[in-house]
Amino acid sequence: MRLLAAFHAAANPNAIPAPHIEYRAILPMLIVFGVACVGVLVEAFVPRVHRAVTQTVLALAGLVAALVAVVANTGLPRRLVVQSAVAADGPTLFIQGTILALSIGALLLIADRSIGADSDFVAQAADLPGTEQERASVRAGLRQTEVFPLAMFAVAGMMLFPAANDLVLAFVALEVLSLPLYLLAGMARRRRLLSQEAAVKYFLLGAFSSAFFVYGLALVYGYAKSVEYGDIATSLTSSDRGDSLVIVGLALIGISLLFKLSGVPFHWWTPDVYQGAPTPITAFMAAGTKVAAFGALLRVFFVAFGGLAWDWRPVVWGVAIATMVVGAILGVTQTDVKRLLAYSSIAHAGFILTAFAATTRASESSVLFYLVAYGFMNIGAFAIVMLVRDADGEANHLSRWVGLGRRSPLMAGIFALFLLAMAGLPPTSGLWAKVAVFQAAYQGGAGPLVIVGVLASAVTAYYYLRIIVLMFSQEPAVEGPTVVMPGALSAAAIALGVAVTIVLGVVPQTVLDLADKAVPFLR
Amino acid sequence: MTGLGYAMTPVLAAAPLSPPTHRDIWWLIIIKTLAIFAFLVLATLFMIWAERRVVARMQQRIGPNRVGPFGLLQSLADGLKLALKEDIVPAMADKAVYILAPVISAIPAFMAFAVIPFGPTVSIAGHHTNLQLTDLPVAVLFVLAMSSLGVYGIVLAGWSSGSPYPLLGGVRSAAQVVSYEIAMGLSFVGVFLYAGSLSTSQIVAAQAHRWGILWAAISFAVYAIAMVGETNRAPFDLPEGETEIVGGFHTEYTSLKFALFYLAEYINMVTVSALMTTLFLGGWRAPWPISLWSEANVGWWPLLWFLIKLGIVLFVFIWLRGTLPRFRYDQFMQLGWKVLIPVNLLWILAEAAIRVVNVSNWRTWVIPIVVLAALLILGSFIADVVQRRSEERMQMPRVGPALVPNPDSPYPVPALGPATHPPLAATVAAREGASGESHSDVRTEGDGRA
Amino acid sequence: MFSYVPIFALFLLAGGFAVFSIIAGSLTGPKRYNRAKYDAYECGIEPTPQPVGGGRFPVKYYLTAMLFIVFDIEIIFLYPWAVAYADMGVFGLVEMVLFIVTVFIAYVYVWRRGGLEWD
Repeated sequence: MRLLAAFHAAANPNAIPAPHIEYRAILPMLIVFGVACVGVLVEAFVPRVHRAVTQTVLALAGLVAALVAVVANTGLPRRLVVQSAVAADGPTLFIQGTILALSIGALLLIADRSIGADSDFVAQAADLPGTEQERASVRAGLRQTEVFPLAMFAVAGMMLFPAANDLVLAFVALEVLSLPLYLLAGMARRRRLLSQEAAVKYFLLGAFSSAFFVYGLALVYGYAKSVEYGDIATSLTSSDRGDSLVIVGLALIGISLLFKLSGVPFHWWTPDVYQGAPTPITAFMAAGTKVAAFGALLRVFFVAFGGLAWDWRPVVWGVAIATMVVGAILGVTQTDVKRLLAYSSIAHAGFILTAFAATTRASESSVLFYLVAYGFMNIGAFAIVMLVRDADGEANHLSRWVGLGRRSPLMAGIFALFLLAMAGLPPTSGLWAKVAVFQAAYQGGAGPLVIVGVLASAVTAYYYLRIIVLMFSQEPAVEGPTVVMPGALSAAAIALGVAVTIVLGVVPQTVLDLADKAVPFLR
Repeated sequence: MTGLGYAMTPVLAAAPLSPPTHRDIWWLIIIKTLAIFAFLVLATLFMIWAERRVVARMQQRIGPNRVGPFGLLQSLADGLKLALKEDIVPAMADKAVYILAPVISAIPAFMAFAVIPFGPTVSIAGHHTNLQLTDLPVAVLFVLAMSSLGVYGIVLAGWSSGSPYPLLGGVRSAAQVVSYEIAMGLSFVGVFLYAGSLSTSQIVAAQAHRWGILWAAISFAVYAIAMVGETNRAPFDLPEGETEIVGGFHTEYTSLKFALFYLAEYINMVTVSALMTTLFLGGWRAPWPISLWSEANVGWWPLLWFLIKLGIVLFVFIWLRGTLPRFRYDQFMQLGWKVLIPVNLLWILAEAAIRVVNVSNWRTWVIPIVVLAALLILGSFIADVVQRRSEERMQMPRVGPALVPNPDSPYPVPALGPATHPPLAATVAAREGASGESHSDVRTEGDGRA
Repeated sequence: MFSYVPIFALFLLAGGFAVFSIIAGSLTGPKRYNRAKYDAYECGIEPTPQPVGGGRFPVKYYLTAMLFIVFDIEIIFLYPWAVAYADMGVFGLVEMVLFIVTVFIAYVYVWRRGGLEWD
């Protein structure tokens, strides 16, 4: 540009050079951020009647476009981009693609209004529950369509979190991913007090975990003089200072990441938040947040702190065992199906952590495969949970699920499929996922973890099968809940979940190879 | 590559100063501190007297003229009177916070003045020093921080008084101050774009040939409005106007604690005026005809120019108080949020764009600035007229029945009321519910007199 | 670092003056007890009883405070940019336009949703 040339002709010795940004490599994230911003403008300007449809179309189009961009980026060379702040490598593409696919499924659930009287989202979040104002909002048919841009921001944060190559950007991504989820967890239409309580709990604990992350970031920066993962790794090998600063920093960052993926003992928020949040958001959180958090966990621990593996591996052993045990045992006593699925997701996090304890290439690829399988089966399971309704809304208590198999065999059969997948039985994707993870753990030297894992799987299988038996073996109550037929959008989401679960169960090799090609993480 | 991504040049490093103040002799620091303190207290006393005299003259009366020549000692007398009043702490008040709030309000007000440049380098007893208590590289940010701290005093005073009206008054004052602080902060950005520094002495130095009011005209206009709103002065003084919510946040305060709040308010006024002088009116530099005299900007003379400019700005404060009626609360909150912020943001972008296009030749950018300023002002007028028209259209009263005069009485009594009363809502519903009911509840004119 | 010493000196002086005047005020005034003096002032009538720890105030003030925080952070980002602007050129302008547009989107949303009304 002539102006730029004229400026540089002045030969300013202090001139700050423009940073080099590879726009194509970060295009998927830019698309989702852009869709989110346009979504806010839609909220501001589009008349209320058209808002929901506009937002749905915009969000879906954006996610599909971002997925296309991710696929198109697979041909790019693997490198650090944006002045080494973002890693555009194989795992990034794989995880971003997974997150986008899961988000499309979750978005279909969020957008569906045909289940029950209206959508699962609150009419107007600012109304106090139980007041006349709330009733007036419901009568007026209002709908808080801000859930769409909020969900888009969360997706953008989820995409950036595993891709970030320096701790500050990871923190920014963590906040962008978490803050909309705090809001979304409080926006259920029915049982609003429970939902708001879940949101407050999530917010308080999440705020503390973000604070831990920042504190750990500061300590690590003090040790390594840099926040980039590569520089941290270099300083670990070459520094002759004492380790205490970086170990404490690593512990604090680890606490924050374990919070995000419900690792024991930072899992306390999971059952309450999963139960209170509107079910589409629970599906979104269970799938997307875990994938993003595991991606970030792998990158931070393997790339940045790989040199400290001797220090953190025993702790990961302990956390993995505790997580699997807590998820398995506490799930047995649950009577609410959403809480039960929450504890099962804790158990799954534990299974993934067993592979994480072995820092080999096989462990990285097996974790990626497990995330794909787990994400889709969870979205499908929560979609079915949305369909079991009675007069007050969703019927989540297990006692109301008795005999649903007789009343609606198709939906119960699909739910049984997802439960079998979670239990790890053939011919579902869960089986191969567990095989891959346990194999990687065993080969990495974590044999005891595999034993605990198998035992925990057996316990979780017990309560999954108990639900299946409950659904199919007894007669349904006369005034019990019905299984509503899903609208087009929810049906699409369920079909997506079923398809992935069965396809990955029958022919897992394609995705396994894809995961294998994606790793290793760029160092 | 180390560091946060890419190399961060230290953009906030201190520019080279003229003989440094940050290494003053200790007794010089003490002298300057005492001088600033005395100046602020005297300026407050003077301002109180000047306000009462000038507003009185504008209202065609005389104002205080008894105590001392021209009533000059009136403020001192008032201060002594306040000291001799009974010190009451309300029973419901939170004692610790209640006593601490005036202190929290007063201290930042004093401290904000530390970075205002009164003049260039002078020589005191052989030592060279700037006529400025201290010169930070982030001086303007320091002033903004101090005025933000002062808001604590207001809110805590209102809350700790243990009574609902001070609480509401305090929260309203704080909300107003905070809203106008954004407009103020944004107008500073316009100043930094031309000055290239946050340091007040650098900003005055950047106005050597052209005052800031020309470089950043819209920022000046917005700052002028924002500084009046920030200090809770007329016409934005609803939270503490005498006819409003009693005394606002300082209702329950007596004696010298009340005097401290009063002091803090006037010192804030002096501070924002001094800041306007420094940022936009050339600081201690002499205006054009005088600046032709080469000695005008050397030595102790600039102190005089600074005080004259400060006096003019303070006079404008008093002038506004004497002239304009008070804004309603929602009106000036709307002004602060909906007008000042977008105008300021657009102006910042415009100024930045103009500077990119041509940095050196001032003629090519003064014209776009003036044109843009005119467009913005015109646009705001048009927007205001449009909005007022739409509001009137929404609130236009429906043409009702004419008032019926009462011819029976020989005296000039007012009309009896509308020819037909509108039906009560309940009767409308009842009428719709059971169609064809009698209109017994609708009072017509005949019923009233029967 | 030494440039902050005079500020600290002024802080001590102002703090001393404020504390001194509060103490002096409580000493130099008379003390004539009257029950009405210790009630809250409500234009002369008996004051309505208030809950302990201060009353509540409408939530719209909280909204104003939150919006202030957002725009104050925006201002803080604008300050270093403005100071270094001469060294940045067109890239600096485009980048700040994008930043201001992003915050402006949020501002427009709040405006249209009535967050800036009635306060």
